[in-house]
Amino acid sequence: MVNRPRDWVYVFGILLALGLLPLAQPSEYVLSFLYFLFSYAAMAVAWNVLGGFGGYLSFGHVTFFGTGAYVTGLMLVHWGWSPLITAPLGGLAAALLALVIGYPTLRLRGPYFTVVTVVTVLIAKIVVLNVPLTGAAMGLWMPFPPWDPFTSRVIFYEAVLVLLLAALLMARWVQHAKFGFGLRVLREDEDAAAAIGVPAFRLKLGALLLSAFVCGMVGAVHGYDRSYLHPDFMFDLHPSIMMVLMALFGGRDHWLGPLVGAVAVMITDELLTVYVGTEAARMLFGLLLIIVVLFLPEGVISLRLPKKPPRAAAAGEGVSSP
Amino acid sequence: MLVEVVQAVVTGLLIGLTFAVLAVGFSLIWGTTGVVNIAHSAFAVLAAFLSLVASRQWGLDPIAALVGLVPLFFILGVVLHEVLIKVAARRTKELGLASMIFTFGLASFMENGMAYVWGPGPRVLNTAYTGAAVHLLGISIPLTHAYGALLGLATIGLLYGFLYHTFPGKAVRAVWQQRDGAALCGIPLHRVTALTYGVSIASASVAGVAMALIYSFTPATYMVWLVNVFLIVIVGGVGSLLGAAAAGLIVGLVSSLSVLVMPFVWTNLALFGLLILVLLVRPSGLLKR
Repeated sequence: MVNRPRDWVYVFGILLALGLLPLAQPSEYVLSFLYFLFSYAAMAVAWNVLGGFGGYLSFGHVTFFGTGAYVTGLMLVHWGWSPLITAPLGGLAAALLALVIGYPTLRLRGPYFTVVTVVTVLIAKIVVLNVPLTGAAMGLWMPFPPWDPFTSRVIFYEAVLVLLLAALLMARWVQHAKFGFGLRVLREDEDAAAAIGVPAFRLKLGALLLSAFVCGMVGAVHGYDRSYLHPDFMFDLHPSIMMVLMALFGGRDHWLGPLVGAVAVMITDELLTVYVGTEAARMLFGLLLIIVVLFLPEGVISLRLPKKPPRAAAAGEGVSSP
Repeated sequence: MLVEVVQAVVTGLLIGLTFAVLAVGFSLIWGTTGVVNIAHSAFAVLAAFLSLVASRQWGLDPIAALVGLVPLFFILGVVLHEVLIKVAARRTKELGLASMIFTFGLASFMENGMAYVWGPGPRVLNTAYTGAAVHLLGISIPLTHAYGALLGLATIGLLYGFLYHTFPGKAVRAVWQQRDGAALCGIPLHRVTALTYGVSIASASVAGVAMALIYSFTPATYMVWLVNVFLIVIVGGVGSLLGAAAAGLIVGLVSSLSVLVMPFVWTNLALFGLLILVLLVRPSGLLKR
């Protein structure tokens, strides 16, 4: 599948170098843009484990993002625990919710599953809007991070960069492990996969939990950065659409695809929002989804990766070597 | 209490009819081509906005505006078919997945396009008879509900006549039941599915106007309508016109009766819960034989 063994060296090298970027005193705008890019990329990479490798199209991952944000936000408000430390707990809460949602619904296939994921977002929004614990329609105000603006930007920037690296390592591991092969097999034909002994349900559930965990952690960090949570934007379908778009645009067959997609989509988004306004930008994203389906079903990354590696090379290096 | 229950039942049935029309078109496309058209309800919302424009600009009654809307949406449906089936279906072996992404993109495009042109706020269709009602045995039926339901009933009747008593309609049902078999019998698949898309989207425009008579709407409303439609199709079973009609009535009843026993905000939650429950218990549809 991967014919260029050194790709991952470049990718992780660049990302680690970006970790040193704050030393160069960049503007807060640059840090803020990269912060959004990294957090979206981390979620898209995680989404891809289930949506790309497994072929289970979920528009509901924003539920896990919102859950992570609310759980860690409440821990900050009530107990004073910093979300930067409790982020893994937010991830765990999201994974727990994913277990509750996924256990019954992952038996559904194709459009049935997808619609249920959309419905979970709507349900989560209604519940959070009407439960006093979460501040309901007033939203949840959290204490501000105790640093000056620039330090605060640097800290959040580094936090999401770490999450992105973790997500990439996870996705790369999944792709080359038996886990990932199983997922791709069941995407091709679930009944046949089950017949030859692929534990389809366990793989799907595992993939959902992993991706929910990452989304929950990103949500925790992001919620703390905003310091104010409201169901209207913590449980909005748009981020889910963006995750799907990034993964599909980049290429869902490779762990690197969603990152490439995230970079392309975020730069386009920034330019469009600045120059033509939000609604027009979102319109164009809808159009972009259509174009990807019509003309680039394998994603941008398929332009670079050879479609089928030469047999000799594959046999020589081993198909699974990174 | 009895009056309230009867009132809720009547309202629920009237609303259910309008939802049923929306669901029937959605079910047609799903049944014949295996495409889950997420943009279906977005077309309905677009029709609602266009009828609003017609009534504001030219003082046209929304129902009269359908004379122009139905042919227009028929053409839109055929265009959608040409792009989706001719271009997308040839490039992918997973049409189900690809078409969902495609129509999701289309729906998102339409939603934001409508928000761009008409703004994201809620709109209400005002007609000469908005606010008027018929009173009957202590219950009151708003005229808008009555006209919306009549429109729904007429459309379902027409669709039934088309599908069961005309030759092209029978061809549509044949493709629905056995695609390859229909092709072997000399039915031109491509033309039949193009016709299906046209009829389906045209019926979505009727449903959009009927629902706009009853509800206020925003560009984002399509998502709520879509969930209702999905629920109806799941309960009625994909590929059943009368099943969808009956399920529409059931969903209308559930949503109007649940208001009696729980606060309004939780009504949608009851419907969503019902959807997930039905999916888990009987994904092939409750009413399907």
